[in-house]
Amino acid sequence: MKIAIPRLGRILLVAIQQDLSDDEALAFQSNLLGTIAEIEALGVVVDISALDVVDSFMARVINDTANMARLLGAEVIVCGIQPFVAFTLVEMGRGLLSADCTFNLEQGLKTLQSRIASRGDYSLPDEHDDLII
Amino acid sequence: MPMHHLAALDRLLSEQRTVLHEKWVAEILTSWSSLLPNTFNVGEMRQHTAHLLEEIAKIFAAYPESGLWEFGETHPLVRAMSEFSASRAISGFTPTETAQYVMCLKSVLTLALIHELMSSPVEMKVNLAAVEDVIGRLTLVTFSAFVETRERVILQQSASLVELSTPVIRLWDHVLLLPLVGVIDTARARKFTENLLEAITRYEASVTVIDVTGVPVFDISVARHLMKTVDAAQLLGTRVVMTGLNPEGALTLTKLGISLPNMITRATLRSGVAEALSLINRRIVPVASSRA
Repeated sequence: MKIAIPRLGRILLVAIQQDLSDDEALAFQSNLLGTIAEIEALGVVVDISALDVVDSFMARVINDTANMARLLGAEVIVCGIQPFVAFTLVEMGRGLLSADCTFNLEQGLKTLQSRIASRGDYSLPDEHDDLII
Repeated sequence: MPMHHLAALDRLLSEQRTVLHEKWVAEILTSWSSLLPNTFNVGEMRQHTAHLLEEIAKIFAAYPESGLWEFGETHPLVRAMSEFSASRAISGFTPTETAQYVMCLKSVLTLALIHELMSSPVEMKVNLAAVEDVIGRLTLVTFSAFVETRERVILQQSASLVELSTPVIRLWDHVLLLPLVGVIDTARARKFTENLLEAITRYEASVTVIDVTGVPVFDISVARHLMKTVDAAQLLGTRVVMTGLNPEGALTLTKLGISLPNMITRATLRSGVAEALSLINRRIVPVASSRA
């Protein structure tokens, strides 16, 4: 299954809708990184509200993806973690998901935008990419 | 005057030299048929082989009965062969193609001798052994010259790789730029790290932008070298902005579990420069143009 990555200006939205197999998770990772590099994304919001279970592998993929995206110059927010998922993640070890999290997509976008706005490369005068504010 | 023990070869090489030469050239052309015609000049090759054949005839004429003869590096034939082989090595021929040049002569001479000395097997053996010996040694000369030339080329190339300069550029007051281009090995990494650290101290840089757009291969060893550079720069108290990482590079760094909390990463040099300027509280703004 292929995960769509819609764009909002230079922000990417990713909603993981169902449990991914290990291979699918890695394919998603490389697909997302390719897109980030291609459009020089400033931020990514990963919505995992549809996931009822996040195993340690998936948590690590999300984490690694967040770290790689940061290396490519994009801010990353994970949003929509279900209570039970949060509980199991903490049980497995809080270090599993070190990316920044918000309650829902709206808050995720807000947080992302305020972060991007405080960056030095956001206010380039010849920047014509409109962020959705 | 006693008859020379390689009389048959001498006779062949004097009376039928043109025919043998033609056959030799034809053989070479067959074995080089897969090569592009513009990689060698047939006319030049003709002259060269004619000259070689002349020299080879001289060798057979003076070939000692014992079959033990010495020829040093100064022998005209050896010199000619070495030069030829070296030029082939530089123009990208394979060792096989180069060696075939001489090897083709062996088959031509062997066939001619067999045909000539059908009735005297002993004489045939003696002549064939001489051909085998001389051509074999020439092949060795060809081969070693080829390899030596290649080695020299490789050495020169690795030397020039190290010499690929990695300048440290002053982007602004207290802002340095280190653009990395090409293959990063231990020697180069050490060199540019030294240059960078020296520049950071000299200009009291508060921000350093390291651009890796020009680094084609971003493997584990490159990542390690780079992280050492970043680490050392941060020890001197400069902020590091890394730009131009590609997805593979990001993957490698993450796989290594490297996280430098104080390192800022940006997709392009352009955003990196903007970030660096904002760190020293500067900004590029449009000016009202006075020149229409």
